Amino acid sequence: MTDTTSPMTLSHAEAATPIAPGRTPWKQEAIGFVLGFALLALLPLIFGDTYARHILIMAFIYAIVASNWDLSLGYGGVFNFGHLALFGIGVYAYSLLTKLAAFDPWIALFASGVIATLAAILVTIPILRLKGIYIILVTFGFAQLVMQVIISQSDITGGTQGLVRIPGLYVFDHNMVRDGKSAYFYIALALLVASTLFLRVFVRSRAGASIVALRDNEEYAISRGVSIVRQRMLTLAASAFFTGIAGAFYAAYQRNASIDVFGMSLATIILSMVLLGGTSTIYGAIIASFVLTIFAEWMADFGAWRPMITAVLIIGVMLAYPSGLVGMIKASWGAVAGRLKRPA
Amino acid sequence: MSALAEILFGGLFQGSLYAMMAVGLALVWTTIGVFNFSHGVFMMLGAYIAWQLVELGLPAAVAFPVAVVVMAGVGWILQASVVRPLIGRPNIVLVVVITTLAAGSLIENGALTIWGPRSKQIPALIAGNTTIGGVGVSLHQIAIIVITPLILAALWMFLNRTRLGLALRAVAQNEDASHLVGLNVTALYGLAFAIAASLAGLAGIFMGGYRFMSPVMGSDPLLKALIVVVFGGISSISGPIFAAYLIGFFEAACSYYFGLYWTPALLFGVLILTLMVRPEGIFASRSRGLA
Repeated sequence: MTDTTSPMTLSHAEAATPIAPGRTPWKQEAIGFVLGFALLALLPLIFGDTYARHILIMAFIYAIVASNWDLSLGYGGVFNFGHLALFGIGVYAYSLLTKLAAFDPWIALFASGVIATLAAILVTIPILRLKGIYIILVTFGFAQLVMQVIISQSDITGGTQGLVRIPGLYVFDHNMVRDGKSAYFYIALALLVASTLFLRVFVRSRAGASIVALRDNEEYAISRGVSIVRQRMLTLAASAFFTGIAGAFYAAYQRNASIDVFGMSLATIILSMVLLGGTSTIYGAIIASFVLTIFAEWMADFGAWRPMITAVLIIGVMLAYPSGLVGMIKASWGAVAGRLKRPA
Repeated sequence: MSALAEILFGGLFQGSLYAMMAVGLALVWTTIGVFNFSHGVFMMLGAYIAWQLVELGLPAAVAFPVAVVVMAGVGWILQASVVRPLIGRPNIVLVVVITTLAAGSLIENGALTIWGPRSKQIPALIAGNTTIGGVGVSLHQIAIIVITPLILAALWMFLNRTRLGLALRAVAQNEDASHLVGLNVTALYGLAFAIAASLAGLAGIFMGGYRFMSPVMGSDPLLKALIVVVFGGISSISGPIFAAYLIGFFEAACSYYFGLYWTPALLFGVLILTLMVRPEGIFASRSRGLA
C-alpha cells in the first residue's frame, strides 16, 4: 500500500509534468475541492424534501468519521479499530455537557472534539509498543471498555436505554425545526468542509509525510529521526478531533444518544466506507460514504436482503479493486483518457 | 466452599467454550496470517445446522457430527471465496478484516432470513442435573468440560504427530520453504479454515444446548475469543488454550465478587495492562509457529 500511482493508472498529463508520486498539484486539488463542495452546497436546491436532506446530512456525518479514520488507518497504517469509540465519546460528551452541565451547545460541540482528542491520546499509550493485529485487538477492546463504562454508569448515561431530549444546536433566532433541515444541512456540510480541509492539509504537510514514511518503512523512518511515539500520538489525536465533533453534531441532530454507536454494525459500515473508498485518499472515504448511505436508503425496501446485498457488493469491490472506488475511478479514467489520446 | 466451587466450575465451563473458539482463530492466524472476523458467525451457523438436522428427525448423535463436517465445508468455501483471492496483496490483513466481516454479515442475515429471529434450542448432550460441592450444575455442562480437553488434545496430536498436521505447522513457520518442498500450501490454508470452522461450529452446538440460539449469538464469544488470543499470545495454539481457561476463571471470579456489569470492563482493563507489559501475550514466545 504505497502512495505511488501505478503506471497503468498514470495519466499522460501527469507523466509529462514530474511531481512527487501520487500527489496532485495543490492548485488542481484546490479547484476540485472548491467545485466539489460548491456542488454539494447547491444540493438543497434540488432536494427540497426533508427526507432527502436527512440522508445527505447522515452521509456528511459518516463522511467525516470515515475520512478521519482513513487518516489513522490509511495514512498512519495504525490498525485502529477504536475509531467509532471516539465518535461515541463525542456523542456522549455533547449529551452530558448540554443536558447535565447545561453548556451552550456550540461550546459543547467544540469541547466534545477536545475530549475525543484526549481520549485518543490516552488510547495511544497502550498501543505504542504494539504492531498490526495487536493494535486491532487493543483498540477494539478500548471501544468495548468505553461502552461498558457507559452501560455501568446508567444513573448518568442512561445505560442501555440511552439519553433522550438532548439540546440541539441553534443559529440566532432561526427556527431549526421548520426550515426543512436546511440549517442542519449547512452546518453538517461546513463541518465536512473544515474536516476535509484539515485532513488534506495535514497529510500534505511534513508531519503527514513523516507518518506515511513510518507506515511504509518503520526502521528507516526512525533512523531518519522520525519519532514513532510522537507521530503515532499526533496521528490518532488529529483523527479524533473532527470525529468527536461529528459525534456531538450527531447527538445534537438526532436529539438522542444510545450505545448503538459503539456497536459492531456501525463500525462495520464506516469501515466499509474507508476501505471501499480506498485507503490513503481522504476523498475516497467521503465518496464511499455518499455511495453507501444513498445505496442503503435506496434499498430500504429490501429488508433483510439489504445487508446481504451490501455485503456481496463490498466483497465484490474489495476482490476486484483492492484500492477501492478511487482506484476504480482512476483505472477507468486512465482507460478512457488513454483511448481519447490514442487515435483508434 | 460453595463460592470456590462455583468459580471453579464456571471458569472451567466458560474456559472450555473460549478455548474452542480461540484455537480456531489462532490456527488461522498462524497459518495464513489473517484474522477471521466471521469466526463468531461459524459458531452460530454450526448451532443452526445442528438444530435443523435434529428438526428433520435425525438423532442428535448423528446430527451433531454431520453439522460439524458441514461447517468444515463452510470454512473451506469462505476461505476460497474471500481470503485466498487476496493473498499476496500488501494490505491483506486489513482487507481480509472487511471481507470476513462482510461475509459474516451475509451469513448472519441469511440465517435470519431462513430461520427467523425466534430463539431456538437444540438437545443437550446429556440431559439432567446434579450437585457438585454444593453447586447445582447440568450434566450437559459437565460433558462440555470433559469433552473439550479431549478435542483439544486430539488437535494437538494431529498437529504434532500426523504428516498433515506437520505440514500445517510447516506452512505456519515458513511459507516459502513449504512451497519449495512441494507442500500444497493453498490446500493447507483451506484445511486450517475448515478445522477452525468446525471447532467453532461445535462450540455453537455446545452453546445451543444450554442457552437459546439467535442469529447474533456468536458475536459475544468472538469478542471473548479475541481477548483470549491477545492475552495468550496469538502465535501458538497452547497459549490461547491456557489463556482461555484463565480468562474463564477470571470472569467467573469477577462476576462472583464484583457483579456481571463490571466484569467486561475489568477484563478489558486487565487486557490493556497486560499488553503494555507483554505486548506479545503472556504465554507467547516471540517466534511465530504452532505448538
